[in-house]
Amino acid sequence: MSDAITVAPEERAAVTKVPLVLNNRKTAWITQNISSIVEDKTPFWWWVSFCITAPVALFGVFCIAYQISTGVGVWGENHPVGWAWDITNFVFWIGIGHAGTLISAILFLTRQKWRTSINRAAEAMTLFAVVCAGIFPGIHVGRVWMVWFLAPVPNSYAIWPNFRSPLLWDVFAVSTYFTVSVLFWFTGLVPDLATLRDRAKTPAKKFFFTLLALGWRGSNRQWRHYEMAYLILAGISTPLVLSVHSVVSFDFATSLIPGWHTTIFPPYFVAGAIFGGFAMVLTIMLPARLIYPQLKDMITKQHVDKMAKIILLTGSIVGYAYLMELFVAWYSTNTFEKFTFFHARFSKDGSGYYQWAYWCMMFCNVISPQVFWFKKNRNNLIVVFIVCMFVNAGMWFERFVIIVTSLAQDFTPSMWHHYHPTWVEIWTFIGTFGIFLSLFLLFMRFLPMIAMSEVKIVLPEADPHHTVRNSGVGIEAHH
Amino acid sequence: MKTIFQHPPEPENGKKYWRSLDQLAEKPEFNSWLEREFPQGASEFNGDGVSRRNFLKLMGASTALAGIGLSGCRRPELHLVPFTKSVEWAIPGKPLFFATSMPVRRGYIPVILATHDGRPTKVEGNPLHPVSNGGTDGYAQASVLDLYDPDRARFFLVRGGDTGAGAKVFGGGAPPPPFSGGAPLPPSDGGAPLLPFSQSEAAKFDAYLDSLLAGFKSSEGDGLAFLVEENNSPTRERLRGEIAKKYPKTLWSVYEPLGGETAAQADAAAFGAGAQVRPLIDKADVILAIDSDFLGCGDGGVDSVRAFSSRRRVSKPDDKINRLYVVENRYTVTGGMADHRLRIPASHIPAFTQQLAESVAILTGDASLRTLCDSLPKSDAKFTEGWIEETVNDLFAARGKSLVLVGGRQPAAVQLLAHAINAALRSLGKTVVTQAIPGDAAVSTSILELAQAIRDKKVAALFILGGNPVYNAPADLGWATLQQSVPDVVRLGMYEDETSRGAKWHLPAAHYLEAWGDGRSVDGSYVSVQPMVQPLYGGWSELDLLARVAGQPKPQGPELVQETFRAIAKPGDFDAAWNKFLHDGFLAESSAALATPVLDATAATAFLKARATPQTLAGEQQLEVVFVPDNKVYDGRYANNGWMQEMPDPVTRLTWDNAALLSPATARQLGITNTEDKADTLEITLGDNRRIEIAALIAPGHADHSISLPLGYGRGMAGRVCAGAGVNVYPLRTGAQPLVAVGALAKRTGRTYPLAITQQHHSMEGRALFREGTVDQFKEKPDFAQTMWMDAELPAKNPTLYTHPTLDGVHQWGMVVDLNTCTGCNACVIACQAENNTPIVGKEQVISGREMHWMRIDRYFASEDPNDPNPEMVTQPLMCQQCENAPCETVCPVNATVHTEDGLNAMAYNRCIGTRYCANNCPFKVRRFNFFDYNQRPIENHQLYLGPLTKKGTPDTIKMQKNPNVTVRMRGVMEKCTFCVQRIQEAKIAAKVHAGASSDVQIPTDAFKTACQQSCPAEAITFGNIKDPESKVAKLKKEDTRNYRMLAYLNVEPRVSYLARIRNPNMKMPDAKNVGTFEIESKHETKGGAA
Repeated sequence: MSDAITVAPEERAAVTKVPLVLNNRKTAWITQNISSIVEDKTPFWWWVSFCITAPVALFGVFCIAYQISTGVGVWGENHPVGWAWDITNFVFWIGIGHAGTLISAILFLTRQKWRTSINRAAEAMTLFAVVCAGIFPGIHVGRVWMVWFLAPVPNSYAIWPNFRSPLLWDVFAVSTYFTVSVLFWFTGLVPDLATLRDRAKTPAKKFFFTLLALGWRGSNRQWRHYEMAYLILAGISTPLVLSVHSVVSFDFATSLIPGWHTTIFPPYFVAGAIFGGFAMVLTIMLPARLIYPQLKDMITKQHVDKMAKIILLTGSIVGYAYLMELFVAWYSTNTFEKFTFFHARFSKDGSGYYQWAYWCMMFCNVISPQVFWFKKNRNNLIVVFIVCMFVNAGMWFERFVIIVTSLAQDFTPSMWHHYHPTWVEIWTFIGTFGIFLSLFLLFMRFLPMIAMSEVKIVLPEADPHHTVRNSGVGIEAHH
Repeated sequence: MKTIFQHPPEPENGKKYWRSLDQLAEKPEFNSWLEREFPQGASEFNGDGVSRRNFLKLMGASTALAGIGLSGCRRPELHLVPFTKSVEWAIPGKPLFFATSMPVRRGYIPVILATHDGRPTKVEGNPLHPVSNGGTDGYAQASVLDLYDPDRARFFLVRGGDTGAGAKVFGGGAPPPPFSGGAPLPPSDGGAPLLPFSQSEAAKFDAYLDSLLAGFKSSEGDGLAFLVEENNSPTRERLRGEIAKKYPKTLWSVYEPLGGETAAQADAAAFGAGAQVRPLIDKADVILAIDSDFLGCGDGGVDSVRAFSSRRRVSKPDDKINRLYVVENRYTVTGGMADHRLRIPASHIPAFTQQLAESVAILTGDASLRTLCDSLPKSDAKFTEGWIEETVNDLFAARGKSLVLVGGRQPAAVQLLAHAINAALRSLGKTVVTQAIPGDAAVSTSILELAQAIRDKKVAALFILGGNPVYNAPADLGWATLQQSVPDVVRLGMYEDETSRGAKWHLPAAHYLEAWGDGRSVDGSYVSVQPMVQPLYGGWSELDLLARVAGQPKPQGPELVQETFRAIAKPGDFDAAWNKFLHDGFLAESSAALATPVLDATAATAFLKARATPQTLAGEQQLEVVFVPDNKVYDGRYANNGWMQEMPDPVTRLTWDNAALLSPATARQLGITNTEDKADTLEITLGDNRRIEIAALIAPGHADHSISLPLGYGRGMAGRVCAGAGVNVYPLRTGAQPLVAVGALAKRTGRTYPLAITQQHHSMEGRALFREGTVDQFKEKPDFAQTMWMDAELPAKNPTLYTHPTLDGVHQWGMVVDLNTCTGCNACVIACQAENNTPIVGKEQVISGREMHWMRIDRYFASEDPNDPNPEMVTQPLMCQQCENAPCETVCPVNATVHTEDGLNAMAYNRCIGTRYCANNCPFKVRRFNFFDYNQRPIENHQLYLGPLTKKGTPDTIKMQKNPNVTVRMRGVMEKCTFCVQRIQEAKIAAKVHAGASSDVQIPTDAFKTACQQSCPAEAITFGNIKDPESKVAKLKKEDTRNYRMLAYLNVEPRVSYLARIRNPNMKMPDAKNVGTFEIESKHETKGGAA
């Protein structure tokens, strides 16, 4: 930007006073400290964490096996509540899977350089969240062994999937999203994998990383291709961030159930996904900084501050959507809408059975992020962590409120029936946390969790105009 | 021994094939058989192309008996035709239909059985018989499941046994198994167990019986006693007469836990001995039903529902309908149909009737009624002001066309008073007639007299045929002990139940579908009972045993019944008459002659005076308990029937249990609360030491200070289905107060009990799903139902974004449900279950909200004031609405639910992967998901949750019941009402075959019915081709202005529509303004139930 260049040095210093990497770390330090996570001995707290998450993951797998072998009835679903924790969890995890791609792709395209130290981990988180999300639509069906009917495979009966069904759109949207996210993530990994290959001390590691690095030598030509590929993938990913959760929201929006049948859902779901996704990134990164203290120079309070601001913004959008739902229900004068949005949420009689879930959601998603208006709170990692936990819970409740409370009391009062979860679905959900965290721990341990090559690009030294006098102050910060 | 099969007659032309060696040899027996076969069948077959069904019925019926007239040089062993060596005309895959009759307390219900490959699978009403006219009740529908019940008694058991090799004796501490399954049966008194015989050893019973009876020869039967259930079979009467001839001192007792003798006493006192009163409900313009559930399971039957609904059918605003006043202590389906309903405790009913009689006496000036009233002590009970006066005015205004009914629960004096009221209102001969049913009027003793005889050591051998006195005899008799004091007790029972365990011998009883018999329907007509299968478990029928006692050999076929038939029908051509009897299921023109009764005022007064005892009324200080028949298991006789157990009670929607019903006010007084699936339990004490603990269910519309206790539950030992279901309330009953008892103490125990209730929300929330209006409203605005609520603002045609495929098939199926005649009795629900192989899921799954019924009856309460103790009750059957614009179809990702060209919303089970999205998106919530393998895994004791660790498979006998034309669904697939697509296809195929090369493939108008439609005694359900302007359904949809569709604003275009209910309130009644106003959103409705 030409105007940036004309800014007087003292003014420049005023707008760029916080460096992206603290303590004036040099490239060698970055390479050493990030690679060491993969190369050094596994820290004690990693083992502690893994010994908790892995059995939980295994028990979740057991619950899934039990459910598949015995029947969906081991969950608490009934007539009329055909979907409950299964789809709640699916949407919850899919939502979480949004932050990674948003950070990698949209922030990349908008040249937000602060993304570099968190994008790798966020992308990995996306993948693992989508893995967890993908479990639920797979296992929640009555006949898992027949799910291949969803694939548009020409068969002898010439029966195609029903292309009018939003559930089928889900299949395409989620699988596309997952594929592109994997490609994007892996493309970004290649230069760092080459670094690890070059540093590998054992033949096994050498072989492993050689295989993954795809012959990366860091030549100018390779960098040129790499950056082009990365840009293209970012371009492909960006609309996916918007499309996936819009499509997921169509599951509900295109139906006719009061509480589902709402045109506001696509933007509201996308905002909610980013909201929940960022909260989950922070939920993971803050403890990771504790396990690996060297990360503190790269994942700084500045990052936390910026993500907290996004949480505040998206949380407010979500809050607006909640209020707009109420307005539309009132404005429509439709008996059923009014019942779902007012009677079931505000009345004191028996029909307000799930009120507590609604108010949980309102507090967690709308009230709690408001503390981020204050910088003091954004910089207090404990406050940030607590709010993120609230948001995680709140976003789960949001989906629960939408799915279960709408189904439990719809058009025909004679069929109203409450829903209660069983231990199986509770543990299946907890199990997916086990799977998610175990995968993330393995990722931290075996792959570079911060994009070394990208962080180095945002170092002051990477700037051709870098001078010793301006050390630590990157012009690129306001490119 | 040789087995004889029969063959159909020769075709009139064409090649001649010989069909058996007999024919080839030109044996005279065969030729004579050929000549006389099917005289009337042939005419039917030739004349009418569509009566394939009649043809099959006829063929089947005749063939089943064909061996009878034939005899070779050896005595043939008579079999029903075995399917494996069947005759030519039995086409595999095609059902055969046979007429028979089902014995029930009020007389036999004429039915038709569909049998597939020799297995009876489905009960249908006999359309030829006026009592049924094709309709049945739920019990009849479910009776076919009893036939195949794997828990049925299969063995001859004898106490102590012959201790043959291999016989195991149960240890003392082990709990009794629900059924023995061939293992020794532990007796109730802890003595020697009852040991089973193999079938081949059943002859030992013969030997025993001969030696036992030999002892009574000299004493003329002194000490011989029978205890039987009510049954009007002429053959049974005849055999009883024969036994009485041989053993004149035999004691013959009849016992029914629900009474019934009071009606006979009242009838006799009013109109002379032998008179049996028959109300002509269809002739009455104004009906007052006093504690009479004549549309439900108490005092009703398919005949009374039919008669009532015939006067309730309207199509135009000026059609006249009857008016129904109901006085009762708890809501019954009759109360739900009422135009005015008064809730008072059952113990107040005598006082009510008396005050009513006095009002009528004043108004009519009838002297006999005056005398009767004067003979009674004055009653000072208070009832809603103006209620009696205005009711009487209305009855008086319609005199000659009015009818007062009193239920059988009430004392004979009260019923007598009703007869006198009817007489004063000049209804005798018009709405009240008597019929004289011919037959032996031998007097039977009651169980109380039998018990006295046992106590006096006058009974040496007791035959208990059916019934279950150890379970249901009055508690103060101590029947179990009494029975044990009789040296020889022979029990014939369908189950190895409580009574069997105290018997010396237990014989497995044959189901009515396995036995020959006869009986009389409520109109007195002579009906046939013929077996559909050989007794599955070698059971004996009651007639078999009685014949043996009478000294005849156990019959092999219908000889006994034929003999009775010969006496009753006096046929010229016996074979033809007999075949017609079996084919039709009844003897034509055999119904009893109706007579105009004349009230014998003197006798009636004397009768009343003798019984005028001071009445105890239930009140604040003393509660009453009322023992009522259960809508699901009656008095306990249907307890081991899973369909009935899982059928939601029409009023409380309770399944798998009984519960003490009480009003919200009484519940508050006792501190009782209900949550959605748990109820506080009550300890109810009556007398000194009779005490039960039972869950208390708050029932809107129940009378205060009154507790209704449904009978028939708490059967620990009669089978696996009923084991653990409900609480036995018989221990509270005494011989003196068998049905209503005042002075009960009830207190909350602090414990709770889980109840499986299929409907937890009782208010319609102001949504006009069910619509009703009054006669005046209807006249003022004939299309009120179509313009009500949100429908008022609907555009003529809702715009749509999609272009929908045109539905242009020849047939377009649609249905109309008339809410004005539907009583909510549930017969259709069970018929649907039987027809469509719908599984039962068990109590615990019902609590989880996973019942599988394809159709349900929604029941709502409503009143203007949410705290109104007497809200209105309405019922609405709901099945798949077969939306043209079906929301379930668009959301299924795998195309498992799609539309057919004839407008059906079809379900492809093979394609379904079970996402449940369709069920979520169904606004009517009629789709049902198989959460577990309900057909393959045991449903009891949480075993469903063990999945693969449980035994897989269905008992063979249960498989035999399944309709082979309907898939048995596996777990993980969605299912729902198909409009009985199998019946549609059958009719279509027949039409196509008939059409041949021509293109006229249209099914003849209204040629077949869906299962629900067929079973409905009120004919409330109409199904057919809406594209055919001549079809009933098309006419109703087009012409009846009451026709409306549920949730029309959603633009899902349902093919099912409803005809709004029309109430006929008497505007002078105190509660008139609340009647028929059940729809408007601004009106608040009660929340009922759970407080």
